[in-house]
Amino acid sequence: MARLFQNGKFWDSDRLEMVTGDILVNDEGMIEVVGVGLPVPDEVATTDCTGCLLIPGMFDMHVHGREPGDEHKETLASCAAAAIHGGVTGLVLMPDTSPPIDSGNLVKSLQDLISEVSPIPMLTSGCLTKGRKGERLAGFSGMASRGVVMLTDSGSSVPCPDLLRRCMEYAKDFDLLVTTSCDTAALTKAGAVNEGKISYQLGLPGIPAMSQEIAIDRNIRVAQHTGAKLHLQQVSTANAVKSVACAKEAGTPVTCEVSPYHLLLTEEDIVDYNTHFKMSPPLRLEADREALVAALIDGTIDVIASNHAPHTEFEKAADFGSAPFGVAGLETTVLAIYDGLIRPGVFGWDLLIERYSDRPREIVGLSSLKITEGEKAEFFVFDPEGETTLSRNYFKTKSPVTPFLDKTLSGAIRETVI
Amino acid sequence: MSELKPRKDLLDIESLSLDEIEYVLENAVPFKQLFQRSVKKVPTLRGKTVLNLFYEPSTRTSSSFEVAANRMSADVTNFTISASSVVKGESLLDTIETLQAMRSDYIVIRHQAAGVPGIVAKHTRASVLNAGDGYHAHPTQALLDAMTFREVYPDFQGRKVVIVGDVLHSRVARSTSTLFHKLGIEVGVLGPGSLIPEGRHEFMQRFASWDEVFDWKPDAVYLLRVQMERQEGQFFPSVAEYHKMYGMHSTRVQRMRELGCYLMHPGPVNRGVEITDEAMGYEKSLISTQVENGIAVRMAVLHWLKPETQLD
Amino acid sequence: MSDSPAISTQEILSPARIEEAIAFLAEEIATQCEGENVAFIGIFTRGVTLATRVAAVLAERGIHYPVGTLDISLYRDDFDNRGTDLPRLESSDVPFAIDGSRVIIFDEVIFTGRTVRAALDGLMDYGRPSKIELAVLVDRGHREIPIQPDYVGRKVETIFDDYVKVRFLENDEKEGVFLVKEKGGSA
Repeated sequence: MARLFQNGKFWDSDRLEMVTGDILVNDEGMIEVVGVGLPVPDEVATTDCTGCLLIPGMFDMHVHGREPGDEHKETLASCAAAAIHGGVTGLVLMPDTSPPIDSGNLVKSLQDLISEVSPIPMLTSGCLTKGRKGERLAGFSGMASRGVVMLTDSGSSVPCPDLLRRCMEYAKDFDLLVTTSCDTAALTKAGAVNEGKISYQLGLPGIPAMSQEIAIDRNIRVAQHTGAKLHLQQVSTANAVKSVACAKEAGTPVTCEVSPYHLLLTEEDIVDYNTHFKMSPPLRLEADREALVAALIDGTIDVIASNHAPHTEFEKAADFGSAPFGVAGLETTVLAIYDGLIRPGVFGWDLLIERYSDRPREIVGLSSLKITEGEKAEFFVFDPEGETTLSRNYFKTKSPVTPFLDKTLSGAIRETVI
Repeated sequence: MSELKPRKDLLDIESLSLDEIEYVLENAVPFKQLFQRSVKKVPTLRGKTVLNLFYEPSTRTSSSFEVAANRMSADVTNFTISASSVVKGESLLDTIETLQAMRSDYIVIRHQAAGVPGIVAKHTRASVLNAGDGYHAHPTQALLDAMTFREVYPDFQGRKVVIVGDVLHSRVARSTSTLFHKLGIEVGVLGPGSLIPEGRHEFMQRFASWDEVFDWKPDAVYLLRVQMERQEGQFFPSVAEYHKMYGMHSTRVQRMRELGCYLMHPGPVNRGVEITDEAMGYEKSLISTQVENGIAVRMAVLHWLKPETQLD
Repeated sequence: MSDSPAISTQEILSPARIEEAIAFLAEEIATQCEGENVAFIGIFTRGVTLATRVAAVLAERGIHYPVGTLDISLYRDDFDNRGTDLPRLESSDVPFAIDGSRVIIFDEVIFTGRTVRAALDGLMDYGRPSKIELAVLVDRGHREIPIQPDYVGRKVETIFDDYVKVRFLENDEKEGVFLVKEKGGSA
């Protein structure tokens, strides 16, 4: 069914600004005409977008789909629904499922499943090591031939630097991106929150910032030695940012990501042992948060990636020390960033589009979305003057666990066009 | 006097106002006096149920709460749940439902995970008393420590206490230091660098040695229990070394004596680790007074808290 | 019938009358208890004052009875209905042997009798007196428990909703016994 979106402001990627106009999408989902004051053709539904913004679909390169294995937390279908609901029109699935995706066959099964249930592209990643155990290399060639976009043990750091080195050298032959989560197990241990004032007051074992920082420094060195492309997941401290900046300055092909929660919250936001604030890496200090925002703006941090890690409310209802790490992110990222950073003027939509749509697509080898004639219509309609109350029934994810639960944020996603 | 509002639960010291603290500490005194009578009971909580839910084994604290509840004429039931028979998470919510169904008026809960008493308190109408949760808090211990200190020092404001030992893993250190600070008592700490956390409250000034401690002229030294099993080899090399550097033994007892400094310990003591047999006999030891006051304070807390179980 | 409650306060015992009543109580007690092992227990707060004053009058006559104090908050039967009240407990002080003594409990007013019942429970947790008696300054009627005072300073007719306020200089700014009526006339 063809549609005419009237009088909205949309992102013009050539002129790099918001432009007011009409967009006619034909019944094959292609943008046929872009103009001002377009006449309404027959049999075309009109949508009045006055006051609204039309933003190219977002791309989230760190999503835990949970299927196969943990379908009670999320399925690919509910994951897709959640993504679309949050303005995300493409994503990369992490391979930490049960079984973990560490061979070409498993990639194929997953891709078949995706094509059955998901209206949006879900790209696959494969494990670095067999079974994510950190002991031997996984089957890179099989996975590469099936088109995985990156290799990662996601959530587990490869403990042995020598093995990580071999992974990177071997991955280079397939021109595959190596992605690592950044954590030193021996320093993290049973930690539940950032180590410091809050861990003392709450009486919880702490995760020192250096656990991530040491891992990042180590991984960068290995990448520099091997010349492999490295992507660092979930950067969370000021020192980590400094290391990345240093490496980039030296010309190392390293990229990194940050979650929306680390851009908006700190350890001080954890009150009453609310496990909706328990995530990995943990929320850090205000100084870290400020450094992350600055790095996002200056490009040291390349992308925003939500680390959408659903766990059921029941699982999260344990004591803080025992509860699993992770919160949902697909439906809250755009809203939270708008409410907490765009609306107050810290940065603009152009940066969000760059960091949460164009650049992540570029890193995994996709071209960016454009709202121009001849392109596929893939955007969401955003009402900056609207409001969204993130109650449980708002969410499409099976696991509505988020620090923003029951909060009302400025802005509303009216619909996502795919 | 009527700025005080009734409260359902006692979960930590941080949430208590100075008025509430004074109220409990003052009321504990008449309760303590009851111990001199032949009939040590009062009928105040007759017909009320107190559930002692202990997820960690403890003789001292659980029996203290049991005695306190008995002396209030309440009906007491004890549950000790060992960690191995508890499936985490699942069990907590199920246990809470069971507790609700039992319609207990008071639940005393001790758990190895921080934050659990707070979760239970949110989901039950009973008054929840935190008898110790992980490293987080032990509010009744802090109250009895304050009561004991104020008995020997009615002019407690501005006086000084040093806490010695494993502050990192100690809920007693956290609660007692916070309460003493609220009351205007200065708090210092002494212990191995691996057990004195950087994230501690700023008011807890760190001393490098016993000499520095005694130069500061503390009014009381508060020894913490050292968990040998966990800490030896990981946080300090050996028990012998800990004892040599931080233990309360003869020369230090002598300096205490010269200063007229009191000795405190939450119990149970590890003889030969943080304290010697000789030091246990120190004439200014308040350790047994702490135990006695513990019962009085717990009775005062049971008297003070107001469960919502009568709202049907 | 008026809607707004008229609060009227009437002095029913002046300081002089109080002194007379106390002298009367002392006389009665001295007569009844001659030669016996007697101890006074005052119920906090003004029962203590009353007991102390009566003991002082007797002391001038050379009769010395010890005075103890009792806080009955922990023995009350209305613990569940305390609402937002947070009572401060007083230290009871019974500095003599109860066993075998003739104990006279003192309270400034007796009304429903429940306070005295609580005092009896509290007292008997200290020991076993040979006899327990009750002395009050004012008996205002409306008993809900079969307890009657043995020594009464003054009987006063009241309706249930009235308040009888006893004020002593030791505890309050002025002295006197007052009848406070909150309703203007009967329904």
